[in-house]
Amino acid sequence: MSQKINLKLKVWRQKNTSSSGNFETYKVTTDTDASFLEMLDVVNEELIVSGKEPIAFDHDCREGICGMCGAVVNGQPHGPQRKTTLCQLHMRKFKDGDSIVLEPFRARAMPVVKDLVVDRSAFDRVVQAGGYVSVKTGGVPDANAIAISKENSDLAMDAAQCIGCSACVAACPNASAMLFVSAKVSHLALLPQGQPERHSRAKQMVMQMDKEGFGNCSNEYECEAACPKGISVSNIARMNRDYLKAGLS
Amino acid sequence: MFKIHRLLSERSRSVTVSGLALILFLIFHLSGNLLIYKGPEAFNAYAHFLESLGTIKYIARIGLIGLFLTHMFFTVLVVKENIKARGKRYDVSKPVGKRSLATRLMPMSGTFILVYLIVHLLDYTLADHHTVASVMNGENLGLYGLVLNSFQTPWRVIFYVLAMGAIGMHLVHAIQSVCQTFGFNHPVYSKHIKRASVFIGVLIAVGFASIPLFINVVASCSTAASCAL
Amino acid sequence: MALDAKIPSGPIAEKWSKHKFEMKLVNPANKRKYNIIVVGTGLAGASAAASLGELGYNVKAFCFQDSPRRAHSIAAQGGINAAKNYANDGDSIHRLFYDTVKGGDYRAREANVHRLAEVSCNIIDQCVAQGVPFAREYGGLLDNRSFGGAQVSRTFYARGQTGQQLLLGAYSALMKETAKGTVKMFPRREMLDLVVIDDKARGIIVRNLITGELERHEADAVLLATGGYGNVFYLSTNAIGSNVTAAWRAHKKGAFFANPCYTQIHPTCIPVHGDYQSKLTLMSESLRNDGRVWVPKKKGDTRAPKDIPESEREYYLENRYPSFGNLVPRDIASRNAKSVCDDGLGVGSTQMAVYLDFADAIKRLGRDSIEEKYGNLFEMYERITGEDPYATPMMIYPAVHYTMGGLWVDYNLQSTIPGMFVLGEANFSDHGANRLGASALMQGLADGYFVIPYTLGNYLATNKLEKVTTEHPEFVAAEAAQKEKIEKLLSIKGTRTVDSFHRELGMVMWDKCGMARTEEGLKEALVRIPQIRDEFWKNVTVTGSEGEFNQVLERAGRVADFLEFAETMVTDALNRKESCGGHFREESQTEEGEAKRDDENFCHVNAWEYQGVGMTPILHKEALSFENVPLTQRSYK
Repeated sequence: MSQKINLKLKVWRQKNTSSSGNFETYKVTTDTDASFLEMLDVVNEELIVSGKEPIAFDHDCREGICGMCGAVVNGQPHGPQRKTTLCQLHMRKFKDGDSIVLEPFRARAMPVVKDLVVDRSAFDRVVQAGGYVSVKTGGVPDANAIAISKENSDLAMDAAQCIGCSACVAACPNASAMLFVSAKVSHLALLPQGQPERHSRAKQMVMQMDKEGFGNCSNEYECEAACPKGISVSNIARMNRDYLKAGLS
Repeated sequence: MFKIHRLLSERSRSVTVSGLALILFLIFHLSGNLLIYKGPEAFNAYAHFLESLGTIKYIARIGLIGLFLTHMFFTVLVVKENIKARGKRYDVSKPVGKRSLATRLMPMSGTFILVYLIVHLLDYTLADHHTVASVMNGENLGLYGLVLNSFQTPWRVIFYVLAMGAIGMHLVHAIQSVCQTFGFNHPVYSKHIKRASVFIGVLIAVGFASIPLFINVVASCSTAASCAL
Repeated sequence: MALDAKIPSGPIAEKWSKHKFEMKLVNPANKRKYNIIVVGTGLAGASAAASLGELGYNVKAFCFQDSPRRAHSIAAQGGINAAKNYANDGDSIHRLFYDTVKGGDYRAREANVHRLAEVSCNIIDQCVAQGVPFAREYGGLLDNRSFGGAQVSRTFYARGQTGQQLLLGAYSALMKETAKGTVKMFPRREMLDLVVIDDKARGIIVRNLITGELERHEADAVLLATGGYGNVFYLSTNAIGSNVTAAWRAHKKGAFFANPCYTQIHPTCIPVHGDYQSKLTLMSESLRNDGRVWVPKKKGDTRAPKDIPESEREYYLENRYPSFGNLVPRDIASRNAKSVCDDGLGVGSTQMAVYLDFADAIKRLGRDSIEEKYGNLFEMYERITGEDPYATPMMIYPAVHYTMGGLWVDYNLQSTIPGMFVLGEANFSDHGANRLGASALMQGLADGYFVIPYTLGNYLATNKLEKVTTEHPEFVAAEAAQKEKIEKLLSIKGTRTVDSFHRELGMVMWDKCGMARTEEGLKEALVRIPQIRDEFWKNVTVTGSEGEFNQVLERAGRVADFLEFAETMVTDALNRKESCGGHFREESQTEEGEAKRDDENFCHVNAWEYQGVGMTPILHKEALSFENVPLTQRSYK
């Protein structure tokens, strides 16, 4: 049954990329059936009515698939519930009187745009470096011309489920983007369609990732634990393998 | 052709490769050390053999120093980059995953190993093996005597055992990490690799640590004869 | 102005091939001289931008999200139809065509639907080549399932994330072209106006959502792929950002809006549970394969569902539609849920929900089997509601899901403004009055990959386009008008939030122009909407300033457009005095309470021409003729 709980929020406020930012505290009474973002909506409605600027946060589909939302809740990207995006986290996971600290995903490669909104365009540039199969529209073979084992197809789908939310970067002690990059590399490496460009893809995407200023992987696997879609670090190993092969060939 | 910028772009992997080489060295080192259980003749003969290698010994030493320096240099480089990559740090940070103690303590164990290494080199490698410190009951037992005498001091034993603990912990994370970095991850075997990683790490640590402990606690070294283990 | 759909002559199955040959081509060397603007990067927009980039055009693509990969196509769960007949169960292009025309309740344009069915097969080939990981059988070939009551298995799927995988496929093609430089991507830009010069679409005004700057972009053609307007209801399964702004502002510049009253209500969504609610979540309608829908027989029965004995339960779908039972089409399932709740039989705290019970299925098939089929959905339900659907029945209620109406386009996807093309959900043409399951993804990709690359070339090759610059007076005037509008919004400084107006509008639309509509209710809405709009422009408060990242300002602009658009939508619903597909007029029903079409008077498309805020738009009609699928009344008894 739903009930009302009172919470204290400590939220990172930052006017724009170049300003320094600080924490502000807010009190909110919320219904336990509300989602985390709906709780923020309530805070914002109150702020707007009193003429203050609401907390800026990114969000769109609110059903856990677009990858737009995300913030660090009490030190954990997307909050305390595993395999759950911030929009799908519900307030019944909190208790009356709880304090919540809300910070943006932090990485130099993803600067804060405003408050909890960050610039993730680095991800797009990494995909531009090779996260595709170079086929043009039309002139492709029949869809059933190539058989793909169910096992590989399922593994490819596991990797392809990445929503690009960047929680992996936020969770990594080194702000590394290996899980995101490897999910795309793996998805295509597991399919016959991805073979012709397999090794160059791994190399180009890793090089672009480094160029963007993400940190280095030290195999701590925080990314996997924080990933709302449960993307496995075995994808990182697969990318490492392909990257190595690209270097040797 | 060796290109420094190529190596620099491979900084993360350089840490892994040099680390792997150091693990192999540790295994070699341990197998030599364990000769101490065979007695002064065997142990000193091994030490003499190493001494007699001459130029090769110096090449090996330079190589080892090179490995250590590479490992440290790139680690520092990578850590500096990682700190920079985060930028502003989190106010609250609560790990989500099941990071082992070994993983979380990598920077601490690494630093401790460096301090230990300096002490260790001064203690034995660079020390004169034929001073009074090697004399046991009037007999100069060379390196063997030096080792046995030095481990009569409890603080040294504690320091060495702690250092071996740090090395063990470092390896527990490092071994499975090497596999991941070189692309080996398998739904079935990875679990075993993690177990093997713990096993090897503990084995190496216990192997090394057994020596000071055994000397100090088990063996009573009132006489040279009784110390012939 | 007479509407000319430009449907090619000849037998239905040959129209598209014939038309493709007859259309003029642009010389390959000249393509890079043409600038093309694509607004929206969902399935239609991303596939169009990538395909046009590959052909050599100079493309600029815009989206309001931080990355083109976020577009709401990503949320589609079920699948995509294609007439591949891999299942050997009698499917064909003609059958897919037939099913779509019938499913659309005979309010779609036959020629467009046939083309859609023809290219459906190419779409699957294209997606597989891109690496979309569709579900496969053990032999390694593609798996199909039957979906949404179709009698053949023609739906391709990638777990419950088909939309995501297709969008990521199109997005990867878009990124490939961006890397090559043929497409320039402009994320976090919102289109505020269309610039029309010499009666042709020649550019757009956008707001950079990060800096707040207004930008002018010129082009030889403008493609809108900006999705549907479901958020006019405030609560819908659409993304929070989905809006009608781009389409509406193009409408104000002369593009006709067609059939805005056709909205699809999806029957299996998680019910509303509080006034803070921001959106509704859809659960795949595959749940109705095993779940039984019921309500208590007694009004206001507050007993827990397990305490209500079998004899006191009303399995209304099974009783009313014995042959289809719980699997009746979306519109019928939705309307029946509404009617039982209106009769006071609804359950849950708001009494606006019905039970979807899996107890029998669990007893019959075992919990494991149910978990295997619906595990993800059950988890999602529990995450949102905090209730365990294995132990207690799910509660569901219909929610707005898709809008079949949109900007009017001819066979070439060109709107009534030459040079402006409309793709995907933003146009109106292919689904008629009701969209079949797994057809939205098909249409978006068909338009983007396989239709627009041909028809756009024909437009460019047959029209002489003078060079224009962004210094043209029309650009200057359009930007000034938008700047003024933004300043006006910021200067009101009233006492109510943007969302409060949106919510109020949504309630009116849901009550009066939702699942069931009456002349009386629609007329009331036509009184209420202008009142809300007037108050909005007097009493809304928009914080912050224009020259910065300002989400309140973004939403204010969108809600202002919904407040104008809603009136046209209601006007359309009032005009269409028949029931068809997603449009149910209570005055037009059979004795059993089913939708009754009026083919004699309403077998046409309503296309509305803008006249000004609050003014009744002018109605233009495009007659529909059904030469290949005979007109019949749908029956699911």
